[in-house]
Amino acid sequence: MEYNLRKAEPKDVPDILRLVKELAKYEEMEHQVTLTEQELLEDGFGDTPFYHCIIAEIPGGGASQDSKVVGFAMYYFTYDPWVGKQLYMEEFYVMDDFRGLGIGSEILRRLSDLAVKTRCTGMMFVVAENNEVSIQYYKRRGAEDLSQEEGWRLYRFDKSSLVKMATPTEV
Amino acid sequence: MNFTIRAATKVDCKDISRMIMELALFEKMTDQVKISSEELERDGFCPNPLFECLVAEVPKENKSKEAVSLHVPLGFTTVGYGLYFYTYSTWKGRSMYLEDLYVMPEFRGFGIGKGLLSTVAKCKALFVQVAKEKHCARLQLSVLDWNAPSRDFYATRGAQDLTVKEGWHLIRFDGQSLDDLGNDAQKK
Repeated sequence: MEYNLRKAEPKDVPDILRLVKELAKYEEMEHQVTLTEQELLEDGFGDTPFYHCIIAEIPGGGASQDSKVVGFAMYYFTYDPWVGKQLYMEEFYVMDDFRGLGIGSEILRRLSDLAVKTRCTGMMFVVAENNEVSIQYYKRRGAEDLSQEEGWRLYRFDKSSLVKMATPTEV
Repeated sequence: MNFTIRAATKVDCKDISRMIMELALFEKMTDQVKISSEELERDGFCPNPLFECLVAEVPKENKSKEAVSLHVPLGFTTVGYGLYFYTYSTWKGRSMYLEDLYVMPEFRGFGIGKGLLSTVAKCKALFVQVAKEKHCARLQLSVLDWNAPSRDFYATRGAQDLTVKEGWHLIRFDGQSLDDLGNDAQKK
């Protein structure tokens, strides 16, 4: 099956949100997606993009058949004060029916190539430890599991704890 | 101890670079530090900065007296920093990542670390979103598993250890493995 990868455009926002929700549904967390198309549009295609996307689409069959967006990767640039600019892959998803065609591998290759071209010294992301298939896929290609090898743990403050920290307490 | 917390400027990069190395020394990874104050200036103070930074200062009469390492002289008034950048969550939107938070050992116990962290939490981008209710802003960071004091510092303020709780592992491609992965793209 033919497919092509390209940079996301504003018109892709509904498809990006659709894929985000599909992935969240698979993780049984669809209710946690509160992001809207308007926010995705402002945040990705405004003056200061907070994220970038590569889209995978299957071309349309003819005049009556539109192309279909079947996968995406969302990424942004981060900073490691020890080695500099990094590319962080936030989301990486290909629809179930379109797996096994090499789309995922090609997305990863394009991102890595982009990372090197934009002066990044590394590409980072998170993987769930029970996702053995993915972990082995990345390790075979030379990735390091920093949590396992160096002991790094990911911590998160959510909204309520942030509000508490940001609100001055009476002395 | 009196202290002030303010946004870093270009001239602070030499102090920030010094403290980055001090933090790396504490984390037992100084051989991994490859960039200098010049790169920090270029990357943090250009038209599209890759990070933002806060610094904590003490008055001259409280300048540092204890050596953090053999090669670092004494007498510093810039005694802590917090380096962060903006990230994006496909579930919640704009978020932040606190990459480094550090206070020189001599100046701990005075609320400087807490002050840096709450200043980050109050950051306009986060605060506006938090107050708006429709966003649930997030602040994420990483801590080494053996660094119990730091893990406690964040946990008592409500942070969750997602590696333990949800099994998330941080993965990185760099150096040769990144080149190899990218070079495959050229063949297509």
